[in-house]
Amino acid sequence: MTDIKKGPVTGSKPVAHVTVADRRQFLVGSAGLLGAATLSLGTGLGVRRARAQSRAEISFASAAFFGKETFGDLIKAFNESQDRVLVKNIELPPPSSSTEVYQGLVQQLARRTGTPDVFSQDVIWIAGFAAAGWALPLDEYFPADKRSAYFSGTLNACTYDGKLTALPWFMDSGMFYYRKDVLEKHGGKVPENWADMATIAATAQKAGDVDFGYLWQGKQAEVLVCDAVEIITSNNGAILAPDGKSSLINQKAAVDAIQFLHDTINATKISPQDVLSWDEEPSRQPFTSGKAMFMRNWSYVYPIAQDAKASQVVDKVGVAPLPSFPGGKSAACLGGYQLGVNANSKQREAAIELLAWLSSTETQHRIALNFGLAPTRPALFQDEQIKKEQPFMASLEKVFTGATARPITPEYAKVTLALQSGISKALVSGNVQAEMDALSDQINKIVG
Amino acid sequence: MSAAATVPGIGRPRLGKALPSALWALLLLTPAFVSLASVSFYPIVNGLYLSLTNTSLITQENEFSGFANYVQLWGDAQFWNAWWHTMWFTAASTVLETVIGLCMALILCEAFKGRGLVRAAMLVPWAMPTVVTSKMFGWLFDGQNGIINYILLHAGLIDQNINWYGSPDTAMTTIIIADVWKTTPFMALLLLTGLQTVPNSLIEAARMDGAKGWITFWYIRLPLLMPTLLIAGLFRALDAFRVFDLVYVLTGGGPADSTETLSTLSYKVLFSTLQFGYGSAVSTAMFVTEGIIALAFCLYLIRQIRRAQ
Repeated sequence: MTDIKKGPVTGSKPVAHVTVADRRQFLVGSAGLLGAATLSLGTGLGVRRARAQSRAEISFASAAFFGKETFGDLIKAFNESQDRVLVKNIELPPPSSSTEVYQGLVQQLARRTGTPDVFSQDVIWIAGFAAAGWALPLDEYFPADKRSAYFSGTLNACTYDGKLTALPWFMDSGMFYYRKDVLEKHGGKVPENWADMATIAATAQKAGDVDFGYLWQGKQAEVLVCDAVEIITSNNGAILAPDGKSSLINQKAAVDAIQFLHDTINATKISPQDVLSWDEEPSRQPFTSGKAMFMRNWSYVYPIAQDAKASQVVDKVGVAPLPSFPGGKSAACLGGYQLGVNANSKQREAAIELLAWLSSTETQHRIALNFGLAPTRPALFQDEQIKKEQPFMASLEKVFTGATARPITPEYAKVTLALQSGISKALVSGNVQAEMDALSDQINKIVG
Repeated sequence: MSAAATVPGIGRPRLGKALPSALWALLLLTPAFVSLASVSFYPIVNGLYLSLTNTSLITQENEFSGFANYVQLWGDAQFWNAWWHTMWFTAASTVLETVIGLCMALILCEAFKGRGLVRAAMLVPWAMPTVVTSKMFGWLFDGQNGIINYILLHAGLIDQNINWYGSPDTAMTTIIIADVWKTTPFMALLLLTGLQTVPNSLIEAARMDGAKGWITFWYIRLPLLMPTLLIAGLFRALDAFRVFDLVYVLTGGGPADSTETLSTLSYKVLFSTLQFGYGSAVSTAMFVTEGIIALAFCLYLIRQIRRAQ
């Protein structure tokens, strides 16, 4: 009995002892083996390791865009192009899940650990990231002479509080689609101001050439803010004062512009009441099925309009800058992703090197051809290869010249919700001045 | 061998003696308690705490601010707008679903050919993902090409297309219709199980006494169904109060905030503007309102049961 009881107890000690001794021996042995292996493998492996260690390791985070290649391939190309910096690609959700991309970036940047070192950001986040101190000011790396190569509208969106905190990458903007064939019947000249546009649209609608004169996006959503920015700016108005600290939305220029949008539904009746619940796609469908004459939308519509399987208006669609009010200039709401460097990055030089490479003429050229994303460098619109392979993109230089940023404020997320709600109320009720006054008070509370 | 087996055998009663039986029970409950507390109790308490701070991911503030969020909430027109919409949605959809569900349950309770098939088919709307339902109703009620407008127009009930989602007068009603379509089968199913517990002998006895169908329903079936009805109504009301996907997909809260509900509002505040403090206050207000709804239902239920006794 005692034997049995004692057996395991006394036995356990030597076992433990043996294991420790064994492990020690094994370790010694394996170290020897390892040493031998390194020696026998020769210098090849050792050299490669040394080189890898001398490369600065940084990370790059971006929403995932797809085309003929991915951003992962782009980063791989950068890693292979030089031997100073090694970049790890962090893939965020696609741009259609913009809220998730935003949350992902905010969470990582707020940790202030320096990861990701370089990131891409939607234009509307730039001010927020800069105000939080997460984005490194880039002025010393990209002085004025280097910046002149970009569209001024994108540079403006990349600037917060007088400092350049993001570097332009690729862009999109609102634009004016028209039906060439219907326009031919009604004068043939693309309208350059809103009143002409409304007149032509109403005539064509009355003549029965189209069901709708003009389509835009009035759904209580981000796109409504884009439509509003365009029409207000084209009347020399603005949503926020240049310092970003007070609202101008109840000024005459802005009120008249919103009134014009309201009138398209209720007075000139060139837009169906449905635009109040439409965002991009619902407004695109009647246009590509040949029911509308004019439309405000993004660049993605053009390839669909030219696709015979999805469109009744192949080769009948033209694109121009949006009209403006007398005395105003055409404005196009700026979209797209721009580059930033994490202010807490421990590898600043390497991060700047990647940044410069991503935004370089060569890389933007590659992105234009392989992803179909338009460059932020006007010079590239004259490029022969881009003209040949992306003729539509190349034709957009004039549209992009009018690119206008949405209100630049670190409180943009709150401001946009207030704008969506307030403008929607004005469009529904028609009490534009009263609703804009109320909206203005609300915005002043947020940004003041 | 036998000795070895007794060794742990001796240990067991000794351990049992060391712990009083009450403590032993508590010990066994601990794993369940810890897992529940970590996924249910902690988030609620943490949410309550967050609602008393000015936490925001963007401004990086994270300080205790007392009841400042609730003071702001009290004066926030957006919040009250969403609160009323949510209450209206909850009341309208729960009442409609209960009444229609009851009718369906009464029909399905009767014996007829193919009853099993109908019972199964009835559940299809409920089994569909809400996002799919939303998209479907988006097309049905489309202002230009929707079949609802087409039918109404050709039946001569309207003289021009109605812009269901683009007008503040109809947007909420349309969302309620979508919800009723989707969730009535669930109510019908719950009420059907309740109806089946009503003893047939009672109904037969009433018939013998000459009671007509309506009288039997009003004095026999309905009172006996009442507890089920109230509990099903409570479930439905609490569920309807959280409505999110229908609104989010169909209107995004518009036009002119006419379909903004508490869930969509708190989502916007929490995840678009990343104000975790204020957003938690909105969520807490939702939680409190739901608590009050549940309490009202329970008090009524208890009174019903007491009266029955």
